[in-house]
Amino acid sequence: MSPTDYSPRVRALFAGPPCAGHLPEGPGERRRGEAGSPEQGAWVVFEARVVAGRVGEAVFRAWGCPHVIAASALVAEWLGGRPIGEAADVDVQALAAELDLPPAKLGRLLIVQDAAASLASLGVPGR
Amino acid sequence: MSGPASVYLDYAATAPVDPRVAEVMAECLRGPAGNPSSVHPGGRRARARVERARAQVAALVSAAPAAIVFTSGATESDNLGVLGAARAARDRGRHVVTSRTEHRAVLDACRRLEREGFEVTWLRPGVDGRVLAEQVAEALRPDTVLVALMHANNETGVVNEIPEIGRLCRGRGVLLHVDAAQTAGRIPVDVETLGADLVAFTAHKLGGPAGIGALYVRREPRPALDPLLFGGGQEGGLRPGTLATHQPVGFGLACEIAAAALPVEEPRVRALRERLWSRLAVLDRVERNGAAEPSVPGILNVFFAGVEGESLLLELEGIVEASSGSACSSARAEPSYVLRALGRSDAAAQASLRLSLGRFTTAEEVDRAAAALVAAVRRLRALAPEGAMERVA
Repeated sequence: MSPTDYSPRVRALFAGPPCAGHLPEGPGERRRGEAGSPEQGAWVVFEARVVAGRVGEAVFRAWGCPHVIAASALVAEWLGGRPIGEAADVDVQALAAELDLPPAKLGRLLIVQDAAASLASLGVPGR
Repeated sequence: MSGPASVYLDYAATAPVDPRVAEVMAECLRGPAGNPSSVHPGGRRARARVERARAQVAALVSAAPAAIVFTSGATESDNLGVLGAARAARDRGRHVVTSRTEHRAVLDACRRLEREGFEVTWLRPGVDGRVLAEQVAEALRPDTVLVALMHANNETGVVNEIPEIGRLCRGRGVLLHVDAAQTAGRIPVDVETLGADLVAFTAHKLGGPAGIGALYVRREPRPALDPLLFGGGQEGGLRPGTLATHQPVGFGLACEIAAAALPVEEPRVRALRERLWSRLAVLDRVERNGAAEPSVPGILNVFFAGVEGESLLLELEGIVEASSGSACSSARAEPSYVLRALGRSDAAAQASLRLSLGRFTTAEEVDRAAAALVAAVRRLRALAPEGAMERVA
């Protein structure tokens, strides 16, 4: 499988990623998690609103290949409604399977996982 | 109902085969058998067609037909020119000069020479992408036997100072090999004006078939070349093997067509390229990679701050066919070594696209491609984290 093979799931998420953009104003605690850099080939930021320990809404922004954008969208969607602590529990293997990820791109998913994890444990207040 | 066909902007990789070329090749394949090396009538007919093609190919670069050696393409021509000339001159000296932005056909041949005991000076072009004659002058040594440089770069389209470098080499008794794969048929190429001893070019960049190219080898004085292949003595012993008659026939006609079209096509394609650039320049932070001039008419290499090349290509899939500045062939991105040599960061090289236009490109296609590119860049920038425009720069 070539690194530039894209599954239908990746193509769909890339073309119309859910949860992309900025977190709108609203009640609750705002959190921000970030990992990667352009130099690392992927750079992902999650923002979440946490109400009573649960993610009320999560959004992402990402710079990277289509797999990174698709994975970030999936994770942001998955976070909605979960206890914020579970942001540290992104299952990279499950994510890779759902996206039918080329093995060469697995490292990029670790950056997505790190960004979500930092939202949970190292999250800093959002803008 | 299907939409419009995608816009092909990858002429620097390969150009569509001219229908007239395809037809003459098919006619040749359907015709009677004949090995150009055979002496029977079928063989003589084939030989006549090959020699006519050789004259057509030679005319494109203002050379004598006898100076043209048919090969399998520019890669083989570059290999034969670089390896053949250096090896034949090894008793005279073992120093070769080239640049870091050559095509891999020259880079890898020079690396091979290093493993064989040659010393190679790797020139770095300026940020404009040009290798200057004064850089070559500084690099020449008493034991230099070969300078190998491209006429125009395949990623940026920037044209090097080959005539000046040719005069310099001639004055110092050093052979000059020129990779003209991107210029033959696109701008006037005259081997005498270039001052080159060896010139590599190929059919598939100018409307001919893939699988055949040529190496011009100066007649007077004729440089010594060690062949890479051994066998039947064809092509003056420099490239033995039975010629596939339809291949030179197609190449020859493609050269004739390109030469006839050149006075009209060169300014037309250059104007289309500038039209494309003007439509992309409405975006913030887009820059050309390499100098705008002197350049081949059809290549525009653009850096889009804040986007990632692979995503940009997917965003354009089915709309525009182009090449990324990156080849994301592994988990670690592999940015263009040419753009890196020009001073671009890995991320900036990755955020660059080579858009190359040619004989069948239309103004309507340019406008459609530009609109798609602008929309794609805006969407990807909107998806990216804040600060991406500054960090991917």
